[in-house]
Amino acid sequence: MRVLWANIEDVWREAAARWTLIAYFFLSTIFIIIFASAINLDIVDGALAGAKLFGKQVEMRGNEMSIEKLVLGFESGFSAVLYFLCTFLSIFATAHLVPRLQEKGTIDLYLSRPVSRTRLLLSRYFAGLLLAGSNVLYLLGSIWLIVMWKTHVVHPRFLLAGVVIFFVIATLLAFAFLVGVVTSSTAVSIMASCGMFLFSGMLVAHDRMAAAVSHEWQAAVIQTLYWIIPKTAELGAAVFAFVSANSFGTKIDLSPTPFLTTAAFGLASLTLAIWRFHKKEF
Amino acid sequence: MTDSLIEVRALRKEYRSGIGKPPITALDGIDFTVREGELFGLLGPNGAGKTTTVKIILGLTAATNGTAFVGGLPVGNPESRRRTGYLPEGHKIPGYLTARQAMTIFGRMSGMSTNDIKLRIPELLDKVRLPQWIDVRVKKFSKGMTQRLGLACALVHRPNVLLLDEPTDGVDPVGRREIRDLLREEARNGTAVLLNSHLLSEIELTCDRVAVLRNGKVAAEGTIDELTRRTAKYKMVAAPVDESLVAMFRENGAGVERVNGHLVLSVNDIAHLNTLVDGLRSRGGMLSELAPVRSTLEDVFVDLVKADAGQEGHPQ
Repeated sequence: MRVLWANIEDVWREAAARWTLIAYFFLSTIFIIIFASAINLDIVDGALAGAKLFGKQVEMRGNEMSIEKLVLGFESGFSAVLYFLCTFLSIFATAHLVPRLQEKGTIDLYLSRPVSRTRLLLSRYFAGLLLAGSNVLYLLGSIWLIVMWKTHVVHPRFLLAGVVIFFVIATLLAFAFLVGVVTSSTAVSIMASCGMFLFSGMLVAHDRMAAAVSHEWQAAVIQTLYWIIPKTAELGAAVFAFVSANSFGTKIDLSPTPFLTTAAFGLASLTLAIWRFHKKEF
Repeated sequence: MTDSLIEVRALRKEYRSGIGKPPITALDGIDFTVREGELFGLLGPNGAGKTTTVKIILGLTAATNGTAFVGGLPVGNPESRRRTGYLPEGHKIPGYLTARQAMTIFGRMSGMSTNDIKLRIPELLDKVRLPQWIDVRVKKFSKGMTQRLGLACALVHRPNVLLLDEPTDGVDPVGRREIRDLLREEARNGTAVLLNSHLLSEIELTCDRVAVLRNGKVAAEGTIDELTRRTAKYKMVAAPVDESLVAMFRENGAGVERVNGHLVLSVNDIAHLNTLVDGLRSRGGMLSELAPVRSTLEDVFVDLVKADAGQEGHPQ
């Protein structure tokens, strides 16, 4: 536990000293402020008489739109935006953790302590997750509270989005750790993690892509890649489905497969990172 | 193993140098021990394998062959580092931390409790002359101060084995003396100190015993006294000293140098020296001074390194 605390303290102090923490929460705060000032609701006798989003009147279609439904719409839409925002901010804020640790003159100081390499790397991983998780909590929690304050509608499902977002961040952080251990480069870790997020999003159309290629082996590669790498598009859709409870338009299939295969990818990345870190000579 | 805190046996390390190329041998079966309370110096030219040895002892690098133990535990076991303090060469204590924060983090990583760390920090910062810098960020420190803080971090968990790589690098003469005193104090308390340095004068002033590494092997090992007495050289002040006397000494197999009006004789042994003295007396010469010339550690080191000059070095 002392090793974990030491790493948490180190990671947070570094984030604070290098302005990462400030930038991280500053950007999140700007988003929260924009969100808070964008919603203007006109509530008369507990009923929604009118609503403006970014200064634009929201169509009420007579009395069809209840305030609950409007909140559901706001939160569902914003949860998708938050999915991207939280994930990218987290990658930028934590991708340096392993490359910085592996710098010559620094790694010796850490590895000369009576701590196994597995414990050191895992402690750093959890310290990074705590940093990213706190930002997710800050962003989603603040928006949830603002909505509650402005509408008096309590919609706890919105917080479910945080769980899925945190899960995706944990997976990508494991991948960033693997890339960091192998390359010792923060830039490559950031590029690889962002690339993985975007590329796996593209692979949601794997069936159409496989059908469009000219060779069978190419189709097999596309299908294999789809099953191996995280399902960021499906998980993004799951965020929306969780928050909206599938109340809008097409129903989103909430199958456990994207969660299971993404978790497997994250675990495999972390295991490989630990294995490589063990083998590495400094 | 009785009081040996560091034990290195037949340690060998090869580095791969690329596909199809032969491996580079950094260590070629070295042996040494460092006992409780001993200050042991590891010397060698660049690439001799000093840092590789220390890194194997710390488990930072794996040995290709051979074994090393710290406190009786194999070096692969993290517990062997429970009572080991290390100051790497060119270490980078994160600049964003203050002295207090750095010592707290490294103390925690060594399993110390918060209360114990709180008591230990001022005590150690006093010893390394940094008490007023306790809450200043390391990035504001000079090189010498960073080095002294590194030493404090290495000592924070009260180790009984200290591994120091160029500990006085960048430290002013007063600071160097203080570090030497601190190391001696640690040794008096039973700590085994392994000092890795190319500053021969530092090693000579600090260490009880040294090993000289050359091309991955121990070329010489012993106390400073043993190593510096290896060459049998004598200063002779006599009269008259002329060319015929020098020629006679040379005919008897002695090396002769004229230095500032006296002679420096290189002889095989005491009997050989006595023959030369007899020769001087038989020619009516008067001997006014005859004393052994002690080599400095630097002389010994240079002689050993020169013996293999021209050979390639090894990576550290």
